[in-house]
Amino acid sequence: MDDLLSEFLTETNEGLGVLDVELVKLEQNPNDPELLSNIFRLMHTIKGTCGFLGLPRLESVAHSGENILGRVRDGELEVTAEAVSLILECLDRIREILAVLEATESEPAGDDSELISRLDACAEGRSAGSAPAASADSTEEAPAEAVATEEAETAEVSSDEEAAAAETVVAAAETEEMTDAPDTGEAEAGEPDHGELVAAEAEEVSSENVVNLAEAASPAAQPDAPAAAKPAAQPTGEAAAPKESSVANQSIRVNVELLENLMTMVSELVLTRNQLLQILRSQKETEFAAPLQRLNHVVSELQEGVMKTRMQPIGNAWAKLPRIIRDLANELGKKIDLKMKGADTELDRQVLDLIKDPLTHMVRNSADHGLETPAERRRSGKPETGTVLLDAYHEGGHIIIEIADDGKGLNSQAIKRKAISNGIASEAEMESLSDQQIMQFIFKPGFSTAEKVTSVSGRGVGMDVVRTNIERIGGTIELSSVAGKGTKFTIKIPLTLAIVSALIVECASERFAIPQISVIELVRTSSRSENQIERIKDTPVLRLRNRLLPLVSLRELLRLDGFGLPEPEAEKDDHFIVVAQVGTYTFGIIVDRVFDTEEIVVKPVAPILRDIQLFSGNTILGDGSVVMILDPNGIASQTGEINVTDAHGDTAEQRLQRREDEVALLVFRSGDDSPKAVPLALVARLEEIDLSQVEDSNGQHVVQYRGVLMPLVSMEADRKLAEEGRQPVLVFSDRGRSMGLVVDDIVDIVEGRLNVELTSDRLGYVGSAVVGGKATDIIDAGYFLTQAFRDWFDVDTHESFGEGAANRVLLVDDSPFFRNLLAPLLTTAGYDVTSVEGAQEALNLCEAGRDFDIIVSDIEMPGMNGFELAEQIRANRWADTPIVALTSHASPRDIARGRAVGFRDYVAKLDRDALLTSLQDTLSDHRGAA
Amino acid sequence: MSTNDTEAGGLTEVDIEAAEAATEFVTFTIAGQLFGIHVLKVQDVLGSMKTTRVPLAPPEIAGSLNLRGRIVTAIDVRLRLGLPQESQEVSMAIVVEHEHELYSLLVDQVGEVLALAPDGFERNPPTLDPRFRDYSDGIYRLDKQLLVVLSVERLLDYGRVAA
Repeated sequence: MDDLLSEFLTETNEGLGVLDVELVKLEQNPNDPELLSNIFRLMHTIKGTCGFLGLPRLESVAHSGENILGRVRDGELEVTAEAVSLILECLDRIREILAVLEATESEPAGDDSELISRLDACAEGRSAGSAPAASADSTEEAPAEAVATEEAETAEVSSDEEAAAAETVVAAAETEEMTDAPDTGEAEAGEPDHGELVAAEAEEVSSENVVNLAEAASPAAQPDAPAAAKPAAQPTGEAAAPKESSVANQSIRVNVELLENLMTMVSELVLTRNQLLQILRSQKETEFAAPLQRLNHVVSELQEGVMKTRMQPIGNAWAKLPRIIRDLANELGKKIDLKMKGADTELDRQVLDLIKDPLTHMVRNSADHGLETPAERRRSGKPETGTVLLDAYHEGGHIIIEIADDGKGLNSQAIKRKAISNGIASEAEMESLSDQQIMQFIFKPGFSTAEKVTSVSGRGVGMDVVRTNIERIGGTIELSSVAGKGTKFTIKIPLTLAIVSALIVECASERFAIPQISVIELVRTSSRSENQIERIKDTPVLRLRNRLLPLVSLRELLRLDGFGLPEPEAEKDDHFIVVAQVGTYTFGIIVDRVFDTEEIVVKPVAPILRDIQLFSGNTILGDGSVVMILDPNGIASQTGEINVTDAHGDTAEQRLQRREDEVALLVFRSGDDSPKAVPLALVARLEEIDLSQVEDSNGQHVVQYRGVLMPLVSMEADRKLAEEGRQPVLVFSDRGRSMGLVVDDIVDIVEGRLNVELTSDRLGYVGSAVVGGKATDIIDAGYFLTQAFRDWFDVDTHESFGEGAANRVLLVDDSPFFRNLLAPLLTTAGYDVTSVEGAQEALNLCEAGRDFDIIVSDIEMPGMNGFELAEQIRANRWADTPIVALTSHASPRDIARGRAVGFRDYVAKLDRDALLTSLQDTLSDHRGAA
Repeated sequence: MSTNDTEAGGLTEVDIEAAEAATEFVTFTIAGQLFGIHVLKVQDVLGSMKTTRVPLAPPEIAGSLNLRGRIVTAIDVRLRLGLPQESQEVSMAIVVEHEHELYSLLVDQVGEVLALAPDGFERNPPTLDPRFRDYSDGIYRLDKQLLVVLSVERLLDYGRVAA
């Protein structure tokens, strides 16, 4: 059955039960205004909900009943036994219709005009005129009333009438909210007084839980439902005797506090169970074994069930959105398509409650401010129907909710003007800000970008409130917007309170949980196995499938050395590496042992411990012990990798900028004392070769390495290799061939900005840069590759460019380092390379009449970025020239954006192979298409 | 019995005299000093519990423990008060609630609950050790010793100290 309908049946049946009781009370006590208004509200709710669900027959009956009550409430009508009977009769009719509705899911056909006319007559005070009818009814009234009172007694779930009343007030508040929403545009409940409102809120929460409770019990409950519904349907034809609703019986309202208490008690039970199992293990033969196993299973299931009552799909918070969007579309004359993905992503009830309103607000905003009118959309060549996309998913131990629209994007000029006119920032300050930074202003208090204030949004309760609400639960909100393409908000809510699957690891006898979601794989290392931890200076690294994986020692990171027992020496080199991924950064965490994965409920840490960034929370494991939950984001940011977490005050762009600039460099010495460096990503492995194994072949030093001959190349042409001893070598690998670059010693791995300040004419050097505070020569790996194999890059050349004329490549990159690294590389691969340092220079070339076969452009550049350049190119003479994006951070989001503005492909900066392949593919595709 | 009860010697008279105006305190000792916490603040008194240490936390955070499904942060009051650490196997703990979080205060020994009359109360002597002065609400003069009233709020208000 439709969720909405079953909820309606539950609520209405409850409401009817209360009404029966209250009406009888009213009859005895006709002058109690509170009672009366309560009754009125209940009736109104029933009517409102019927209208909302499109149940005309119910609605008209309820409406007439409400009319009488309305007049009574306004003092225009006396409360008489007759009127009360009539209303009770009206309730019975509603009940009859409901019973059929429940069985068949549709309103039965039937005529209520006779009843309605009597109700209306009563409402108009014409009781005298319709006296015969009334007296004729009185025979029916008696049984009806008898049934009603009987009903009242049985229907009372709790004998506490107050509680029952409060519950139905909720129903009132909820439905009023639904029905009123289109009018007021605000999800405000009706006008129950304060005390009631509180009750209403509390109950609303629990009513949402009810759904889950019913779900949890569903295997048992569901098969009953049809069976129960059928007998309920039968008597309706013969007798009007009202029946208990079976749907109503499937779910009950439970106080949240009760659930919380249950949860606590279940935890206790789990602990006791575990103790019992512990005892059981030490006893060999005991007759307790079987019952304890049984207890074990039951407790596990119980625990799971109770846990489930806390979790709700995020779709619950979205349920009202389609309606809101529909009404908005009508009001604003727009065509809006609301798409919702990941509605079943589960969230803790508490978190769900807190993000409900911000989400509604943002979706409304997207529809109102973000999307254009159909006419505007037509003009800008977009389909008339705008799309608002809601997407929820788990990522890196967080819940991500995206709200994206394909509207006009944020107008940074308008924001700028507004910010200046509101005195939030001065003009001078604004000038120095990038568009992205300017857009952040919409999160400041008192901001609305809508040119005119509509009834929908723009009343000053803006994004600042949204942001505050999200930050209050420890979340973050980010914004990205492309003019003409749309705006996307990304809300990241920490897993606090959510249930996650976590890997339990041990280090220095302490256990920790790592959210499973950020764990890619586990590697076991020991000095005897193929995988072993190596150290470059003090930095541990691991060779993993031809890559060097940076490692983080949990023991060192958490300063665990003082903790627990010292590790026995023999076990020292036996470790596990948890390979974790944060964004695009992959790293390994060294731990002593790995246990199992366990479902954990994340609890926030005490305020005292909140500034320890490495923990995202703590939890109680199945055995009752408390463990800390490691935050891979925090670990990544603490161990050098670019700021992945959201540093205060940083805009997204600044973070990108940093990521862009920082490169892991391998620093080594060779020949002289001056340090030399090469991007770590280019190095496949670090080896120490036994010099006695070095052979001479074809005038080159070679060594047998992994079954093939690997040429050794020195940085200095006249370098003589010693006869004996071990020699460190940087191994560059490509297409099954390897080359060893002989170096004196490996110094360090440095993460840092790479700014080649002096370019070099020396062969084999790109130039000099300051690395780790020292002037360092950056070597040109490509040069040494060709030293080893003259045809290193020729493979591509022969395969793809048989046509003779070299393909002309325009390389756009602001970083001299990359220009200097890539230009020779592309040249050796047979391209005719022109490199420029910015988008403007590239456009100048275009105007100057130069032509290229392909353009390779960086994304993050000062001034005009790669996306903008691509857009410009799409509009000018070069529109036909394919563009490949070059970036050091290719997130799926970037890639999507890149494709949208016309990039053919997306290549990681340091991935030489991918770049060459991409160029080749793009060119041949392009030729094929042309 | 009151005569040979060394811990609370002679207190029974006070109890009877000022039963109405008296405030009840859960008493405990740390390094020989008698302390008291208002009885209504105390949720629980625990023996030794299995505690998970929290790396990188301030030294006085002894760890986290599970008390009936709630995670409780254990604080070594001795260290919080700036007293030297002493390895003591058996220590007891008083569980208090502060801003909806539970904290377990590790102390040497939990004594009995005393009802103390207001006339024995005095404010902190200005010469008191600054840490004690910070965390103490005042002093009760008992017959044989002094009782320092510990302020749970200030003891656990890390934000204030950091600021």
